[in-house]
Amino acid sequence: MRPLPFEKPSRWLALARLPLWLLMASMLVPYYWMFIGAFKTAPELVQQPPTFWVSKPTLQNFHDPGFNDNVVDPDHWAGIFQIASEGFGFAHYYLNSLVVTVFVTALSILAASFVAFVLTKRPFPGSRVVFNLMLASMMVPWEVTIIPNFITVATLGWINSYPALLVPGLAKAFVVFYFRQVILSISSELVDAATMDGAGTLRIWWSVVLPLLRPALAAIAIPVAIAEWNSFLWPLLVINDAQHSTLPLQLGRLAGNLSYNPQSAAVLMAGALIASLPAVALFLFFQRQFVDGLTAGATKG
Amino acid sequence: MTQLKTEKTASLALRRTLRRHGRDMLLVAPFLALFAVFCLWPVLRSAWLSFTEYHATTAPRWVGLRNYADLFADERFWRALANTSLYMTLVTLLSVALGLVLAMAFGTQSRLHQFARVAFFMPSVAGGVGAIAAWKWMANSEPYGLINSLRGWFGLEPVRFLGDPSWSMVILVAVGVWSVMGYHMIIFVAGLRSIPADLYEAATLDGATRWQRVRHITLPLLRPTLLYVGITGMIASFQVFYEPYLLFGSVDAIGGPLDSALTLVTYLFDYGFHQLDLGYASAAAWVLTSILFFLTWLNLKLGRASEPH
Repeated sequence: MRPLPFEKPSRWLALARLPLWLLMASMLVPYYWMFIGAFKTAPELVQQPPTFWVSKPTLQNFHDPGFNDNVVDPDHWAGIFQIASEGFGFAHYYLNSLVVTVFVTALSILAASFVAFVLTKRPFPGSRVVFNLMLASMMVPWEVTIIPNFITVATLGWINSYPALLVPGLAKAFVVFYFRQVILSISSELVDAATMDGAGTLRIWWSVVLPLLRPALAAIAIPVAIAEWNSFLWPLLVINDAQHSTLPLQLGRLAGNLSYNPQSAAVLMAGALIASLPAVALFLFFQRQFVDGLTAGATKG
Repeated sequence: MTQLKTEKTASLALRRTLRRHGRDMLLVAPFLALFAVFCLWPVLRSAWLSFTEYHATTAPRWVGLRNYADLFADERFWRALANTSLYMTLVTLLSVALGLVLAMAFGTQSRLHQFARVAFFMPSVAGGVGAIAAWKWMANSEPYGLINSLRGWFGLEPVRFLGDPSWSMVILVAVGVWSVMGYHMIIFVAGLRSIPADLYEAATLDGATRWQRVRHITLPLLRPTLLYVGITGMIASFQVFYEPYLLFGSVDAIGGPLDSALTLVTYLFDYGFHQLDLGYASAAAWVLTSILFFLTWLNLKLGRASEPH
């Protein structure tokens, strides 16, 4: 990428940036507060004035070996991994979220890339209509579809089940649209040559198109995965038992009950921290792809 | 005779189509079926439901425009609309302006600027329930709450941010700007990079000041990006849900103190999923959709009107 035309440093501009650096610092404050809160003991968490670092770091908000359900002890409380509802603990919700995220992301993106390929390079009678319907559906806000989808899932008997979390999000029109833009730039001759060699549609998609789509796959997979990981409203509607709860759902329940009970707040900070970490890690590893995916829609067209 | 012939050619054409495309169509069918069931059919069904009374237990009953009439007669709806409009306006103006300034200030490839961009972008990545929980804890009304402690340094009394109706919108807007500002910044950085550098060089040679270059090169050439960010920002902030839901919501009072944090989507959620008034909630969804369409149309119109000739 070319450098921006604003590089020549001027002393005045450097000074004018000072408030912006302060703004940047304040951006990170919620994360810092969450981070130190997770390692504070409950008394320190509600100490006044608050400590801006951790004076006595503890891991008991995650797991407290001294916790005993039958003994009331102000120094020990159930860490986030010890809180169990209906026999399911935080590790279980973590796993649920992970499975849902990986499954929906992988399958929805593979399927969308295939559909985009067929619609673009293998048009069949009616494929134009199908594509236009997808475009139109992207303009409808989710509030419209969420009520009938809730009814559909309830009618299918999927409330409190994994299909409710996995199936409705598989057909993503905006991903098809995104891949179509990329596939349009693949030369049709390449596809035709493969057809001459006797390769079927599936074969061409898998061995010719997908390898060419690799950067695009990564660019769209990351925002999709993060959206799935953070998904809150849909699970809130269709899941109300512990077994199928996802991480944000359970965290939301803890946050909803956030009283000024210092122990529950300390444990909530620990939960918030470990829920945020995978998304942050994914982002830090794949920054470039992330930014590419986000800006693809913005700068073209 | 002729009829037989056309039937024959029709069936021939069909057979040829199937031979050529049958396999492809079969392969995309599962996706298209899911798309139809969860993306297309719900649109029609929701439109129909909005004209019915439906409480999930009995069959929907046609009531004509009654849901819409009830909606427009409901004081809470207007409250939600006013709150949402205020929220959208403030969040969009602040986050777009700040995003643009940040993109100009931290747009280079230097390590320091890259780090700054990551920091500003963080809420777009880890902005889910966890971050809102952290905000809720920072904004708690006790003197040891972070924001109240900071107020204490300046000799200000602790405030019940989440319990005092006059503070609800302040907290909501702060969280809203915090969440999207960095996203806008990233898009503006991409927009700025697409402006040819020689334009700036030429202008500098002609003696243009820095401000003149921003005013006459950057802003006009960034217009499509501004329009994009403005429209998507407005649409997204108009649909704000989980921030107010998590910060203020509890089952009995989803809109926070005196409904001061009630937004259109939490309103819809309240009627649809707490009271299971699904027909009424569908009507609310369509009113929301109409407003979004109108906003988009208005933006595009204004954007086109301001186009340089």
